Amino acid sequence: MSKTANTNLIMSDAASRRQRISTLLGQSFLFLITSLSTFAVFFIFYFILKDAIPFFKLEGFTEFFSSTRWYPSGSPAEFGALPIFVGTGLVTLGAVAVAVPLGISAAVCLSDLLPFKVRQIVKPVIEVLAAIPSVAYGFFALVVFAPLLQNHGGIILSTGVWLVLGPILALLVIVLGDLLIDKLRKQIPNPKIAGAIIFPILGTLTLIFLFQLSTRLLGLEISSGTNALNVSIILGIMALPTVVSVSEDALQAAGRELREGSYALGATRAETIIKTIIPASISGILAAVILGVMRAIGETMVVWMASGNASRIPEPWYNVLQPIRTLTATIAGDMGEADHVTGSSRFHVLFAMAFCLLAFSFIMNLVSEIIVKRSRKKLGK
Amino acid sequence: MRLETRKLLDKAFSGLGLIAIAVMAMALLAILTPIIWRGSKAFVFKGTIEHRRVMLEQFDRGNSDRFNEELNLTAAARAPVYDMLEAFEAETAELEKTLEAQEDEKKTQAKVLKNQARALKREGGSEEEIARLEAEEDRLKAEAKALKEQARSLGETREEPYEALVDAVQELFGPMPGQKKPVLIRQQYGQTRWDRTLVKLHEVMVEEEWDYSNPDAMGVLVENPRIEKFRGTGLEPFFQYLEDHIDEMMRPKTTFYWQFITDTSKDSHIFGGIWPEVLGTIYLTLGAMIFAIPMGVIAAIYLCEYAREGRTVSFLRICISTLAGVPSIVFGLFGLAFFLNTIQVSDSKSVLAGSLTLSLLILPTIIRSSEEAILAVPRAYKEAALGLGAGRWHTVMTVILPAALPGILTGVVISMGRAAGETAPIIFTAAVSVGAPLKIWETLNQPTPALPWNIYNLCTEHEAVDEIRHVQYGMVFTLVAIVLLLNLFAILMRARISKKLRG
Repeated sequence: MSKTANTNLIMSDAASRRQRISTLLGQSFLFLITSLSTFAVFFIFYFILKDAIPFFKLEGFTEFFSSTRWYPSGSPAEFGALPIFVGTGLVTLGAVAVAVPLGISAAVCLSDLLPFKVRQIVKPVIEVLAAIPSVAYGFFALVVFAPLLQNHGGIILSTGVWLVLGPILALLVIVLGDLLIDKLRKQIPNPKIAGAIIFPILGTLTLIFLFQLSTRLLGLEISSGTNALNVSIILGIMALPTVVSVSEDALQAAGRELREGSYALGATRAETIIKTIIPASISGILAAVILGVMRAIGETMVVWMASGNASRIPEPWYNVLQPIRTLTATIAGDMGEADHVTGSSRFHVLFAMAFCLLAFSFIMNLVSEIIVKRSRKKLGK
Repeated sequence: MRLETRKLLDKAFSGLGLIAIAVMAMALLAILTPIIWRGSKAFVFKGTIEHRRVMLEQFDRGNSDRFNEELNLTAAARAPVYDMLEAFEAETAELEKTLEAQEDEKKTQAKVLKNQARALKREGGSEEEIARLEAEEDRLKAEAKALKEQARSLGETREEPYEALVDAVQELFGPMPGQKKPVLIRQQYGQTRWDRTLVKLHEVMVEEEWDYSNPDAMGVLVENPRIEKFRGTGLEPFFQYLEDHIDEMMRPKTTFYWQFITDTSKDSHIFGGIWPEVLGTIYLTLGAMIFAIPMGVIAAIYLCEYAREGRTVSFLRICISTLAGVPSIVFGLFGLAFFLNTIQVSDSKSVLAGSLTLSLLILPTIIRSSEEAILAVPRAYKEAALGLGAGRWHTVMTVILPAALPGILTGVVISMGRAAGETAPIIFTAAVSVGAPLKIWETLNQPTPALPWNIYNLCTEHEAVDEIRHVQYGMVFTLVAIVLLLNLFAILMRARISKKLRG
């Protein structure tokens, strides 16, 4: 009421009506443009599904999801996509195994351990990692990493074991040893003597374990460098920036009060982080993991170039040293051979795969959205 | 837990975090170093005389007088090689001829003896004489056979190893003098780069063979020096000469070939540069921007300034984040199914269809970053403008957008980098493996080569993958450089904005 009165002071009735109409028109135009992205989402779902349905109508669901025979060009053609699903899952698990521990430790380090100046340097580095095009990663995986893995795979793996498992096991030894000292307090009252007994024993055991593992890996022969391990490592590196930045945001969101409260109670930094900050921001970290998984599943070029493209289930299924094939690589590789226009089963099966990818990423996206929203509410922001 | 352990644990924990950061930095270094180091070799390398010849003949570049001088020097250095080969051919032909003549002679003698023996038999001559003649005949026959064998083995040497040698030499130096010019460009020239020259020289010197005699192990590469096959012939000094004079024959010179970016490629990237791919990438990126920037910025303005928070807007936001989560290959399929098969923006793959697909891919990024930029504009600006009586639209256009422009531009530049590097969406909608650079109006209905797609293509489907490693690395280097420069630009701009907002 007051608004119209206000405008009437300056403008005539007709002018004000004209302005109202033009505002309405302008707003609906803006809304229309904005909803284009909504249309795009619906169109994507509609057109992928439209071309996926003929496949399911013709061939049914059971073969696609349960058979292990993938011969789309044979006669009769066979469309068992199980090995491809297994390959996708294996590679994704591998990528998560690389990206999540590294990413979360890096995020913790960034948000709580490093001084501000160092952070200013490290953050752009992560951004560079995210900016490198996927085909460059694929090229690296195929041309540089695969021959290395094939010729010196044993050495690479065993140094990897020392570098990655070494620090983690050292931490474990410290924690376990300390717990044991507490337990043995009745038998050996002097903690120094107890420590002098327990730590060397635990340390030697760990070292023996590490030696055993690394010598076994050293003797490994890798027949082909283009395998699930190669792809997992590279995909893990590609997913790292997402995991780091999202989980760092979550850790930052935990706020100063929690940290200061914890320090005030006498907790060390590690205890504060492990017992207070991470539990408080666990949902954000979970969202980061989900986004990382999505990045790994949706990636095309690296898996196409460096996975070996063998559509069979590795023996045993978790053997990452064998070539595999993933959904995205199958779509990218087979579409060139399938008939685009007339639309054979071979054409439609690729849309069926794309639909699986799309549905999965949609669900994951929704879940992460819900998690993030809930965590924001919990933290009162 | 005891205090000391707690402190130790704390230190170890910090160490773990630092290791994670270090691993990331190492990964970045490990990936970028080979790409930059070997990629720069597409631009700066030791070019041989053949490279200068390609430049002169195929691209009209270089001083032809000076080149001819050099060519004469190399020809003089190469002459003994060809002479030796010719001499070997002549020598073996001569030897073969004499051997055949001897064989014929022995054969006729044997025939004569046979006739004599037959005549004696008919006349009833002494048994002894006949036996003697027949023995003589057999001896001669055996000798003739041995000679034949010798000639055959000589022929074999001349055929297989010699022909292999000549082929290897031709790959090193190009066609022999006096030979007809081959059709394929790659066969008209020798090795253009010194590193490849050394590889090819090695192939002339030794013959590589795979040994599969041990069925349990993988095949072993065995190198047999070719010289063994020509021991005792006129070709023995040939190998030593080749090794000693390769410098004079190829004349390596450090070359700065910056035209690698602006030259078109010849003979499917064996020679020349990558201009069609670079141009295609530029077209696709700019095309995607033309569609995505207006849509994205308008959507951001609406979401920030006009929309009232409610079901509709939160639905819109969910859609935008869903769009951001769609795998890139699905965008490619959607582009194929919608833009090409359904509404048919062009008859075949085209830059237009690829740009449209890419613009959908980067739309969410642009919307988000523009929204952030608009929200970062201090509220006081807006309030002041509204307070002065400006309308909402007027405020947005004259106050908020200019203030938010650097931020919006940052997002735009980052998504440009993303669009330039994406491969999956353009596989089915825009990219082809070979092609000429397009004119601007051809982008509406013509497909184009593009850097990301051709990197894939060159290192997996090219027939001479190993020969053109430098081109592959050069392409990756160029693409990574384009994307990283865009990102650097964005980072610098963001730093400036944050300084401005703080100050």
